[in-house]
Amino acid sequence: MKNPLIKRLPRELKEELGKYLIIFLFLVATIGFVSGFLVADGSMKIAYEESFEKYKIEDGHFEVAEELPEDLITKLEEENVNIYKNFYLEEEMSSENTIRIYSERQGCDEVSLMEGKLPAQKDEIVIDRLYAENNQINISDVLTVQGETYKVSGFVAFSDYSALFKNNTDMMFDAKKFTVAMVKNEKFEELENENMHYCYAWRNQETLSEKKSGEKADDLLEILGTNAVLEDFVKQADNQAIQFTGSDMGSDKIMVTWLLYIIIVVLAFIFAVTISNTIEKEAAVIGTLRAMGYTKKELLAHYMVLPGMISVIAAIVGNILGYTCMKHTVVAMYYGSYSLPSYRTVWNGEAFILTTVIPCLLLLFINLLVLNRKLAYTPLQFLRRDLKKQGKRKVLRLRKGSFFHRFRTRIILQNKSAYLTMFVGILFANLLLMFGMMMSPLLQHYKADVLNSAISKYQYILKAPISTKIEDAEKYAVTELENGEEEEITVYGIMQDSAYLEEMELPEKKDEVLVSDGYMEKYGIKIGDKLTLSEKYTGEKYAFTVAGEYHYPPALTVFMSLENYQEFFDKQEGYFNGYFTDEKLTDVDEKWIGSIITQHDLTIIADQLEDSMGPAFALFGGFAVFIYLLVLLLLAKLVVERNGLSISMIKILGYNHREISSLYNRSTTVVVVLSQLISIPLVYFIMEKLYKAMMFEIRGWLTFYVKPVIFGEIFLLGVFVYAIATIWLNKKIKRIPMGEALKSTE
Amino acid sequence: MFLEIQGIEKYYGCGESRMKVLKGINAEIEKGEICVMLGPSGSGKSTLLNIIGGIEKADGGSIRIEGKELETMDEKALSEYRRNHLGYVFQFYNLIPNLTVKENIEVGAYLSKEPLEVDGLLKTLGLWEHKDKIPNELSGGQQQRTAIGRAIVKNPDILLCDEPTGALDYNTSKEILQLIETINQKYGNTVLIVTHNDAIKQMADRVLKLRDGQIRKDYKNVEKISAAELDW
Repeated sequence: MKNPLIKRLPRELKEELGKYLIIFLFLVATIGFVSGFLVADGSMKIAYEESFEKYKIEDGHFEVAEELPEDLITKLEEENVNIYKNFYLEEEMSSENTIRIYSERQGCDEVSLMEGKLPAQKDEIVIDRLYAENNQINISDVLTVQGETYKVSGFVAFSDYSALFKNNTDMMFDAKKFTVAMVKNEKFEELENENMHYCYAWRNQETLSEKKSGEKADDLLEILGTNAVLEDFVKQADNQAIQFTGSDMGSDKIMVTWLLYIIIVVLAFIFAVTISNTIEKEAAVIGTLRAMGYTKKELLAHYMVLPGMISVIAAIVGNILGYTCMKHTVVAMYYGSYSLPSYRTVWNGEAFILTTVIPCLLLLFINLLVLNRKLAYTPLQFLRRDLKKQGKRKVLRLRKGSFFHRFRTRIILQNKSAYLTMFVGILFANLLLMFGMMMSPLLQHYKADVLNSAISKYQYILKAPISTKIEDAEKYAVTELENGEEEEITVYGIMQDSAYLEEMELPEKKDEVLVSDGYMEKYGIKIGDKLTLSEKYTGEKYAFTVAGEYHYPPALTVFMSLENYQEFFDKQEGYFNGYFTDEKLTDVDEKWIGSIITQHDLTIIADQLEDSMGPAFALFGGFAVFIYLLVLLLLAKLVVERNGLSISMIKILGYNHREISSLYNRSTTVVVVLSQLISIPLVYFIMEKLYKAMMFEIRGWLTFYVKPVIFGEIFLLGVFVYAIATIWLNKKIKRIPMGEALKSTE
Repeated sequence: MFLEIQGIEKYYGCGESRMKVLKGINAEIEKGEICVMLGPSGSGKSTLLNIIGGIEKADGGSIRIEGKELETMDEKALSEYRRNHLGYVFQFYNLIPNLTVKENIEVGAYLSKEPLEVDGLLKTLGLWEHKDKIPNELSGGQQQRTAIGRAIVKNPDILLCDEPTGALDYNTSKEILQLIETINQKYGNTVLIVTHNDAIKQMADRVLKLRDGQIRKDYKNVEKISAAELDW
């Protein structure tokens, strides 16, 4: 015979449909989003990784001043590599954006057609999809480049430009102002002029380890160094345009997974509290069943069925949504940041475990824990409704305050588990809300700070120490080293009496340096500490002593005097490789310019973060409001339900609705307001820790900052959501009939 | 002897407020008897019933049912004992609110390997017409009938009734007592009824009168009358 208690389940579901529906929908939305995220993330990562073989991504490229003679190409190919011409022209468009035009590609760095068609006519061109989206360019639009007009025939993703870095030394890519493009070979031949960039890519003939591939590149570099005028040489492993996307992908995974678990834990406790309430309500029935011989295990299983069923179904539905609709949101986020090739959805076992197995187990485990404790009473205790642990029965004496005040205090004490869960829920909601609300102002604040502390309007990085006649240009030297965490650290050699860094007091000792405040904060560096940085490729180590701190937010930076720099890095006297200037260096030939860091470049990291993460910030805010509603509605409802009999009784005694609401709803109001007041500073503290942990995972450092007005906004939003919940609760109180107390004889 | 109660002692509270509520109860009840336990509030009759029912532990003495001693049983064995041998009826019915009359009875049937036939029992209980109603659609008497049905559907050896008529009016109380009597006659269960209604003793085979935790009277009722004839 089937356990007849099973028949209760659909009825209970029907009776509490609202509650279970809210929990179910919330679970579906959360699991769906996270599953969608993980599936899209996994599929995109696979598409990215597969693109190396599928689109035959180069193992490196180099640029030379003139086209290589055939015999030199043959000599290079004797090193077991294939050499491909990847010549390009770089022009400014009418929009002042830069376009890098290539001819058709075959055998190396092939493109993925995302929309439209590849150029079939001489006047047709394909451009990067992301750039087109950022600049609202449609297929069939006409682009004008150096007087030539082109019809856009399609959008593509260049496999060697998944992140649109114009120069490999750029701090960040810029898919708004720079694009790559491709025209027919015949057209490209027509375009050939003195501005042609003679770029060659190579692919190893066999698969090599990163180390071997690096050695191969060194061999090529050696040949080229003696046989050609080399202007640029970039191995695949160092090519930001290829590597940046891969290293950035998946960085949000931990954050999103934690979001899921926070919500699951909140939901599990809501489940547990509501089921505990049901157990208290049904104590006599449970006592009777236990007295009749039902075991604790049977009852435990019975009360576990609904939460278990709801979580499993929600996880299944959530996953289906994740694989179908939700993934598109995340894919759109990736496509909004990177020029990735087309992808196919790939089954993700890890996502299944993270979004289905673990949440279900977590929910079941927490419920099991709470229920096991709750059902541990003896049958007699259930029959007597004596569900308090021995020794905890002391009634708190309340002598102070009005009757109403004491009454409300009793309600709060009676419902402390529900209110505690409410506090935890509010805490988590505020955590998400603060994250959602703080990031945009934080990025704005960072941008303003970066602009205020920019050294000069332009920072030129030169390929060779070329002089200029521009008077206010000031020489400096710069190099990139790595710290123990393999993070790039910029080392500046600055002139002692720098006009651009007037406030900087550079230490005089050879090994002493100033360190940017972000670097010190990120790695907990203190004045007097020893810093060891190393050369990325050679591994050569350099040790510095931290003599002071300097406020410089754009990058993790070490400053030393130019003289010390020259001595330290074994450079000849007078060495430099850049200029600080507020004017453009019009007299320096472009071929000597490695890159120009403008103020726009310094803030591009913030812009990029805002562009790619903007929807996520909004999403976090949305989830927070949802959690508010969930905890406030379900738990405040529970308090009203638990006190249904008392409410009915005081109605009989003659209390009016306002008085009843003031007793029961105001108790919850007190808890909500107090929870807000306590949780907001607590959330600030937690967020600071989480933020630092999160920033540690990404390159650079954005100082933690919460715009003060956000604290007020969070408080008001929480109270506002509660005010909405109160309207519904008032209706619920009104609906409790007086007969309830009369009917209940026990 | 079917049920042997020997020297049962029970204390409540601790320290200075420790109180002896059962002071060495001895009694013997034969199989198939209706035993009525009478006494004023606080006399210990419900406590004794709960100890017999295995939902409360005695602090001293022993209870033997067909030779099996309850005191030696652990929680699992006690649960098994209740499952296989006992039926419980309480003053406030304690029915499951969202199950129908029939389903509430099935809750009891589920516990037995050889339960009574539910439909037949519903007819015996006079609940056939109400079988698809939920408890709050029933009168107090009908609810108590359902609770009795739930208790006896597994055909227990002992039916424990704690103030089964305590919440009912005169006529309904008599109906319920008649039902208990019918069941006793039909299925041969041993029935223990705890009540403070002195009149009910007349339908008992054995009467135990308790006061201050002690048995003041223990006798076989030689002038037993049927429940229908009871009057108070």
